[in-house]
Order: sequence, then C-alpha cells, then structure tokens
Amino acid sequence: MGRNKKESFENVLFTIPSIIMVTITIYIPFIMSGFYSLTEWNGISKEPRFIGLENFKTLFSGSSEFVKSLIFTGKYTVLFMIFSNVLAIAVAVALVQKIKTANIMRGMFFIPYIMSMTIVGFIWKFIFSQGFATLFEKTGMEFLNWSWLGERNLAFFAVVFVGVWQSLGFYIVLYIAGLQAVPKDVLEAATVDGATSWKRFFRVTLPLLGPSITTCVFMSLTNAVKVFDIILALTKGGPGGSTYSATLDIYREAFQNNNYGLGSAKSLVFFVIVLVITQVVLKVMNSREVDL
Amino acid sequence: MSLAGKKKLKLVILAVVMGIIAIVYVYPVFLMFINSLKPFGEVVVDVIALPTKLEWANYTHVIDKMSYGKLFINNVMITAIGIVGIVGFSSMASYILSRRRTKYTRLAHLLITTPMLIPFQTIMITLLKVMNVINLSGSRVGLGIQYWGFGIPMAAFIYSNFMATIPKEIDESAFIDGASTFRTFRSIIFPLLKSVTFTVVVLDVMWIWNDFLLPLLMVNSSNDTKTLVLSAYTFVGQFNTQWHYAMTAMVLAVLPSIIIFILLQKYIVEGVVAGAVKG
Repeated sequence: MGRNKKESFENVLFTIPSIIMVTITIYIPFIMSGFYSLTEWNGISKEPRFIGLENFKTLFSGSSEFVKSLIFTGKYTVLFMIFSNVLAIAVAVALVQKIKTANIMRGMFFIPYIMSMTIVGFIWKFIFSQGFATLFEKTGMEFLNWSWLGERNLAFFAVVFVGVWQSLGFYIVLYIAGLQAVPKDVLEAATVDGATSWKRFFRVTLPLLGPSITTCVFMSLTNAVKVFDIILALTKGGPGGSTYSATLDIYREAFQNNNYGLGSAKSLVFFVIVLVITQVVLKVMNSREVDL
Repeated sequence: MSLAGKKKLKLVILAVVMGIIAIVYVYPVFLMFINSLKPFGEVVVDVIALPTKLEWANYTHVIDKMSYGKLFINNVMITAIGIVGIVGFSSMASYILSRRRTKYTRLAHLLITTPMLIPFQTIMITLLKVMNVINLSGSRVGLGIQYWGFGIPMAAFIYSNFMATIPKEIDESAFIDGASTFRTFRSIIFPLLKSVTFTVVVLDVMWIWNDFLLPLLMVNSSNDTKTLVLSAYTFVGQFNTQWHYAMTAMVLAVLPSIIIFILLQKYIVEGVVAGAVKG
C-alpha cells in the first residue's frame, strides 16, 4: 500500500508540470474561444454580450471574407502539397545517386528552410520588385516584366512559389532518408528481371517510399493550411484579397478590427475544418501504404 | 563506350545539372547578401551586379539603429528558457507515461499530446487574454515560458516513442541498488535519451528562434523585449524603399542561423529527419 501510494504520487509529480503548461497555454484559451465565439466583444468593453450562434451565421453569409479566405487557403494547400512533394522526390532521387557533391547540394536546398519565413517573404518581395526589373533589362524575357505581386493570379502563384521555395529542402531531406531505406536487393532483383529505370522507379521505389510520402504529405498539409508569415511579408493578403489566407483573416478580425467574438468563431471553424481534413488524409494515406 | 563509362558520364552530367539547379536555388540568398553591402544608389541601378566596393557602413548603421546586440541577447534568452523547460518537463513526463500504465498515466498521456491537433491560430486570440491576466505577456521570460506549453506535446510524443525502446531492466536494476525514481531518471534514463534530446533541441531551436506570430502578439510593444525577426519585420516595414538598409537588417536576422547551419549541417539534418519520422 505504501509503495503504491508513493508511486501514484510520483506519477503526478513527474507529469504535472507538463499538464499545467499545456492547460494554461492551450486548453484554457481553447475553451475560452468556445465561449467568446458565442458573444459580441470588442476587447475593450468589460462584458462580452451573448448573441448565440449569430457569429457563425455571419461567417457563412454570402459576402463573407472568411469563406473567400478558406477557398484561397484550400487552393494554396493543394498546390503547395503537389509541388513540394513532387519536386522534393525528384531532387531527392537525383541526390541519392553517387555524386560527390550531393551533401553540399542537399545543404544548399535546405538553407531557405532554416531562415525565418518572414525574411524569406521579404527577400522575394525584393526580387519580384527590384530583381526582376534588372533581370528584364538584361535579358528581355517577358515574364520578368509581369507584375508578380500586383496582379491577382500572378500573386497567387508567387505566394505558392515562395512557400514551396522556403520548405522544399525539408521534404528533400525526408525523401532522401526514405530512399536510402529502400532495400538495394529489391532494386537489383528488378534490374535483373529487366525493368527499365523508369519502371523501377514507379513500380518499386515509389511504392516502397510509402511511409515517407505519408509523412511528407501530412506535414505539407498541416504546414500549408496555417500559412501566415510569408503572406504577411510578401503581399499582406493583396492584391484585392487574392492571397488572403484563413489565418490572416482570423488575425485581422481579432487584432485589427477588434471583433474578438467573431474572430473566435472563425478560429473554431478553422480548427474543425483542419481537424477533419487532416484525419481523413491520414486515414487514406495509411490505408494505401504497402508493406514489404 | 563501355557500360561503366556510360554510367559514369551520366552521373557527371547529373552532378553538373543538379549543381546548376542548386546554385540558382540559393541565388536569392546570395542576392540579399550582396545588396546589403552596396550603397543605396547601386541597389537601385543594378540589383544583380556585385558591389563595386563593400559598404560596411550599412551594417554599422543598422546594428546601431536596431540595437542588434540587445535583440540577439533577447533571442538567445527566449530560446534558452523555452528549450530547457520543454526538454526537462517533457522527458520527465514521458518517462512515467511510458513506464507506468495506470488510469492516471493514460489520461495524462492523452492530455499532454492531444494539443498537437490544435492549430496555434485557433487559440491565439484568447491566449493573449490569458497571458495578460497571469502576467506572462510583454516579457521575455514570460514568452520563453509560453513555449513550454506549445513545445511539450510534440516533444513528449517523440520522447515517449523512444522510451519504449529502452529496456526496463535498466531502471529496475537501479531501483534494486536503492536509487529513487527521480535519481534513476536523472542519472540513468536521461543520458540514454541523448539522441532524442538532440532531435528535440534542433527542432525547437529552429522553431523558437524564427517564430513570428507568438512574439508578435506577446513582446512587440517594447523595443526592450523584441526578437530579431520581429525587429527585422518592423525595420523592413519602415525602410521599405531603402532596400540597402532593409537587406542589411534581413541578413543580420538570418546570419546566426546560417552560420550555425553551415557548422552543424550534418547534425541538424539528422535531427530534423529523426523528428519527422518519429513525430
């Protein structure tokens, strides 16, 4: 009995600091968001006014900025996931060949990933505005003269491009690790059986890369839906709201328009959507993995 | 040409092509560096050209204007506080969570790791209010402490997965020798967790050092508490036509990360891969 009691006490003692910290920083704010989402509150007046589900109705009404920002976020996420994963696999396949400089190149691709996303946004803002102008004068290539941050469709692709550029190195190193784990004897057997290198890649390597693909697709999804810093630095959501993300909308609603109630409602809807999508994607990916 | 020779030639071509792609890939970073060393006139006239002479005055001006030394100390302090708490608390909790299976530990495990599913933006509005009430907003120490809450779920998850691979016999023999639970953890288990601790440190330093949104909410109101990235953000906003100063501020903000990365590339990449695979 004495020992059991002591053990229970220790169990609490070792875990309580972590539980307290996540409760203060995550659970309490989360529960409060639930409460404030049912109120109208500007952060200044003492008492939030209870208005029931009014905020949620406002969110999904026709002219809502929020719905547009969700659509942008969805489009951004899909393109981001496709480009990061396809390009990262391509580069990783090249870098696992017997090239002497492979490690240096891997490092070069990784550099943008260690830089703050805000700074990455600024670097590209500089390049799109100043750098492209100079390059256009020198080369005369027409696309350099386009208004990459000033025209709606172009700005959208510019944001996707910069997002992928920043984090591609991360996915490359994950795929390199995955490719190195593909057993050599399986590939050799395929070669002996007369499979061409393309066939080997699509029929053998790619299916065996399953766990890496699951990890990378999942991570690119969770990172893309939260896109914020890059957009704030690069376009601030413009032009004309064409790069206005859901997280940016939540931020603006709360901290610039001071609509804390409506902002909280948006943040909860965002949470539910992200939760559902990530769980569905995870289920689908896991069910498709091949066992060796 | 022989088959081996053909294969070798292919590899050389691949190396050259990939080399060119990699150079183009990091070229924007290089552009930032060269433009930070030009006087204003040269930046405007030709972005691509190398500086005719190195304008170090940009750096003295911006270092002084940003109070770079202070920002650097702020960043180190916030990151250090965050890391020590995350590593200490989450490794301690994971030890108990994976060794003892009771109703309580199962519940605790759930409570500690579930927050990984909640995006930061969902709670940021009310987080600010909570932190105002308990006085953790507006200070560097307070910000560092907040990172404990946000870092622990993922770190505890990674630690717990790894704990399962450490044989139980090791701590049992320590108990028989009369060591207390805490002592067993500190002197025997924690050293065995070295590789995971390393992974957690790499991931969390990269995250906290470069984080933007949480510092923006918590420590942006005073110059004494700002972080490097925050200050660079403000600075570039103010000097957005004076690109030479803006570039200098940006270089100063990312230079510490780049230097550390060049020195520790192998370990950092290993840590990031391990974190993603275990996480």
